[in-house]
Amino acid sequence: MSTFALDNPVWNRLRDPRTAGIAGIVLGVVACFVALPPITARSPLYPVLVGIAAAILGLSAALRGLRRLGWGAFAAGLIGIVLGVLATRSSEGNLSIVFTASLIASMFVFSTPLVFGSMAGIFSERSGVVNIGLEGMMLMGAFWGVYGADKGKSWAVGILVAMLAGGLLALVHAYFAIHLRADQIVGGTAVNFLALGITGYFFFQLYNGQDIPIGVSTIPDVHLPYIRHWKYIGPAIGSLNLLVWVSFALVIVTWFVLFKTPIGLRIRACGEHPRAADTVGINVYAIRYGCVVLSGMLAALGGAYLSIGFGGGAYTDNMTAGRGFIALAAMIFGNWRPFGAFGAALLFGFSTALAYRLPAYSGSAATLFQALPYVLTLIAVAGVVGRTVPPAADGKPYKKQ
Amino acid sequence: MTDELVLEMRGITKKFPGIVANDDVSLDVRKGEVHALLGENGAGKSTLMNILYGLYKPDEGQLLLQGKPAVFGSAKDAIQAGIGMVHQHFMLIPVMTVAENIVLGNEPVRDGVLLDERGAEERVRELSKQYGLAVDPTALIADITVGQQQRVAILKALYRGAEILILDEPTAVLTPQEATELFGIVRSLRADGKSIIFISHKLNEVLEIADRITVLRRGKKVATVSREGATEESLARAMVGRDVLLRVDKPPAEAGEPLLQVDDLHVFDDRGIEKVRGVSFAVRAGEIVGIAGVDGNGQSELIDAIAGLRKIESGTIELAGRTLEHATAREMLDAGLGHIPEDRQVRGLVLEFTIAENIALHDYAEPPDAKWGWLFPKKLVERARTLIREFDVRGGGPLSRAGTLSGGNQQKVVVAREIARDPRVLIAAQPTRGLDVGAIEFLHRRLVDERAEGRAILLVSLELDEILSLSDRILVLYEGELVGEHGADVSEEEIGLEMLGGRRTAA
Repeated sequence: MSTFALDNPVWNRLRDPRTAGIAGIVLGVVACFVALPPITARSPLYPVLVGIAAAILGLSAALRGLRRLGWGAFAAGLIGIVLGVLATRSSEGNLSIVFTASLIASMFVFSTPLVFGSMAGIFSERSGVVNIGLEGMMLMGAFWGVYGADKGKSWAVGILVAMLAGGLLALVHAYFAIHLRADQIVGGTAVNFLALGITGYFFFQLYNGQDIPIGVSTIPDVHLPYIRHWKYIGPAIGSLNLLVWVSFALVIVTWFVLFKTPIGLRIRACGEHPRAADTVGINVYAIRYGCVVLSGMLAALGGAYLSIGFGGGAYTDNMTAGRGFIALAAMIFGNWRPFGAFGAALLFGFSTALAYRLPAYSGSAATLFQALPYVLTLIAVAGVVGRTVPPAADGKPYKKQ
Repeated sequence: MTDELVLEMRGITKKFPGIVANDDVSLDVRKGEVHALLGENGAGKSTLMNILYGLYKPDEGQLLLQGKPAVFGSAKDAIQAGIGMVHQHFMLIPVMTVAENIVLGNEPVRDGVLLDERGAEERVRELSKQYGLAVDPTALIADITVGQQQRVAILKALYRGAEILILDEPTAVLTPQEATELFGIVRSLRADGKSIIFISHKLNEVLEIADRITVLRRGKKVATVSREGATEESLARAMVGRDVLLRVDKPPAEAGEPLLQVDDLHVFDDRGIEKVRGVSFAVRAGEIVGIAGVDGNGQSELIDAIAGLRKIESGTIELAGRTLEHATAREMLDAGLGHIPEDRQVRGLVLEFTIAENIALHDYAEPPDAKWGWLFPKKLVERARTLIREFDVRGGGPLSRAGTLSGGNQQKVVVAREIARDPRVLIAAQPTRGLDVGAIEFLHRRLVDERAEGRAILLVSLELDEILSLSDRILVLYEGELVGEHGADVSEEEIGLEMLGGRRTAA
C-alpha cells in the first residue's frame, strides 16, 4: 500500500482525514443512487461495494481524530448500502414511477414553503430574535391569503392580506420578545397557538369551517416557453408556480442584503453583539422589530403558497402541519446562511417528495423518508457534519443601559 | 498641551434609586492632554463617562464642548460631537473582520446600496498608518490578540472623528508589554492634539501616563491634581479616604512538605483543544506559588482540573499525600482543597441565596448544618454570623441575598467559606479581580495570614502586580506549558517577556 501511496494523487489527498470523511459521505450517497434511475444498477453488489468504500473512508477519518465527520461518513455508507440494496430488490417499473424528472418539480413544490420559512427565520434570528412562531405566521398567511384572494377576487390581494396578517402576528412576537423581553421560546410557542386560534375561529365564522368557494383566484404557474418541452428539464422546471421562482429570488436577495449591504452588516451586528451595535448609534430595537416583522411577512408568503399556490385555493384547519418547524430546522441545518438553508430546504423537500411516491412499492420506506428531515436536523444539531453556530446573541433580549 | 478647554462638565449630578452616583462632579479636559479619572469601583467613574457618552442623562449639571453647551440624547449624538469611547470590554464582534467592526454603523457605500468592503479596508489602512496602530483590516477579530483588538477599538473611535477619547480601564486585559505599547499609542495621540480621558484604578500607570488626575470617591470629586507632586500614597489616600497599605508586608516563607503535586498534567478544553500540556509543579505547606500568564493560556483549565471540575486527559494530581485519579469536585474538597473560583458571581456564589446558605454550600449535609437528612437553618445562620464578623463582610447579615452585596464583600463571603473548612491546599483564582483598593488590601493580607497557618496556596492571577507582591515562587504559563520559574525577586519585565512566549526555559 505504501508504494501505491507514493505516487497516486487521489490517495495522497485521501490521507487528509477531512477529505477522506467528506469523500466517505459523498460515496455513501452514491451507494444509494447507483441503484436508482437513471443509473439503475440491478445487482446489489454495486451499492454494497460503494457503501463499504464509504464506511472504510469514514472509519479511517474517525480513527485519525475526526470523530464526528468520520462516524458520519461511516453511517452514511451503511445507510447507503441498506437503501441501495432495497432499491435493487424492487422492480424497475416501480423505480421509474418514483424517480422521474417530475420528482425534481415535486421537490421544488414541497421545498418552497420551507424556503420562505427558513429565509424568514434567518432574518429574525440574524437580528437576534428566535422565531419559533414561524409556524403560526405561516398559518396566518395560509388562511388570510385564501381569504384575501376570495374577497378581493385576486391572488395578489390574497398575498398582500397574507403578508399583512403574518406581519401583524410577528409584531406581537416582536413586542413580547423585544419590548417586554419575554422568553422568546415561550413567546413564539404562544404565538403559534394564537395563530391556531385566530385562523380556526375565523375559518369557522367566515367559511363555516369548510366552505371555501371553488374557483378562488390562485397564484399562477409560470410556463416557460420552449424550455417546457425539453426532455428532463421541461418536466422539472417548465411549469412551476410563480412563488417557487420568487422563493429562489428571495434566497439570493436575502444573501445579498445580509452580506453585501450596510443594513445587513447592522442586522448581523445586532444578532451577534447588540451592545456593540448600540454604542455606534445603531438602533437595535428598530432593527429587531423590522427583522421580526419582515420575518412574519415572508413566512406568511410561504403559508399563502400552501393555500392559494400549489394548494389550488383550498384551506384546511392547521394547514401548515409543522412546516414552520421544518423550515426552522432547515435554517439551523443551513447554519443560519441563506444558501445553506436553501440547500437544506431542497433536501427536505426532496425527501417529502420521495415519501409521497414511495408508497407505490413500500409503505414503510415512505414513512422513513418522511422522518428524514427530522433525523438530518438532529444530526446537524449534534454537530456531525460541521458544527452549527447560531448568532451569538440569538434569543437574548437586549436591554439598553 | 495647551490651556484650551475642549470639554467641561459642570456640577453633574446623577441619581439612581437609592444612590447618588454622581454628586456635583465637575471635570475639565484640555486639548492634547491625558486626563486620568481615578477612583474605586462604585466611585462614579463609569456613570460620569456614560453621561459624557450620551448613555445617561444627568439630573443636574451642564456639558460644554469647546465652550458651547451640548446635550446628548444618545451615543450617536456624542459620537457626532467627537467623543469616542473604548470600552473595557471592547464592543467588537468576534465573527466579523477588523474593517467591518470599525465601519459598523457608518459604512462606506458604493453603487448606492452596496457595502464598500474594499473602501472600508482602504480607510482602515490609512487610519492605521496615520496613527501608527498596526492592524490587518481583513483579519477576524476572533483571530487577533487582545492588544490588537484594543487597537481596533481605538481605530473605531478615530474613524468616527473622535477628538476626545475615553479609555475605560484599558490596561486591565493587557500584558505589561502590551500596556507599554498602549502608552506609546496614547502619547502619540496626545501629540496629535487628541484629548484622552484615562479611566483607571491602578496608581502606577496613572502616574506614568496622565498629565492631570481627577479623583472620585463615592460619587464626589475629591480633587484634580497635576501629575507633578502626586505620589501613589497621596492618590490612594484620596481614593479610599484613609491611608492604605500598598505593599504587602510578609516575612520570607517557611515552606514545609509539598501538599499539592501536579505531575505531567494534560487537559483539554470544551472544544477539544489541549490547553494544559504537560504541566508539573508542587506547592508546599506555608508558601504561595503564583501562576502568571496572559488570559487564555490554560489557567482556567488547570484550575478546573485540580478542582475536579474538568476531566484530566493524563497526568496525576497528589493532594496532601493522596493521589487522586479522576476525582470529583466533592472528593477533591474532602481531600483538603479550598477553591476560590475565578468568577465569584457565576461559580463562587449562588446570588439568589442568602449569605448563610452560600456559606453552607459545601457542608449543608453534615453536622452541625444538618442531621438525619434535616437542615437546621438556625445553625447555618449562627455559623454565617461568626464568619461575617471574622471576615468583615459589610452591607448585609446572614439572611441578606448574596447578590445584594458589593463585589468585595461577595468575595469575602467566598473566601470565608473556603477558609472556614480548614483546607490544606487553597487555590485562589483571580481573588481580587474587579475589587477596589480597600478590599484588595484585606484579601491580600488574609492570604498571607493563611500562608502562615501552613496552608499551601496556589495563586492564579492575570494581575502581574498581585503575583509579584504575594508569591514566594512564580511560575509562568504560556500556551499550556510552564515556561519559567522564578523566586519572588524577579523583575516584571522578565516575566512579561515569558508571558508572551518570548523565552522558553525548562521549568
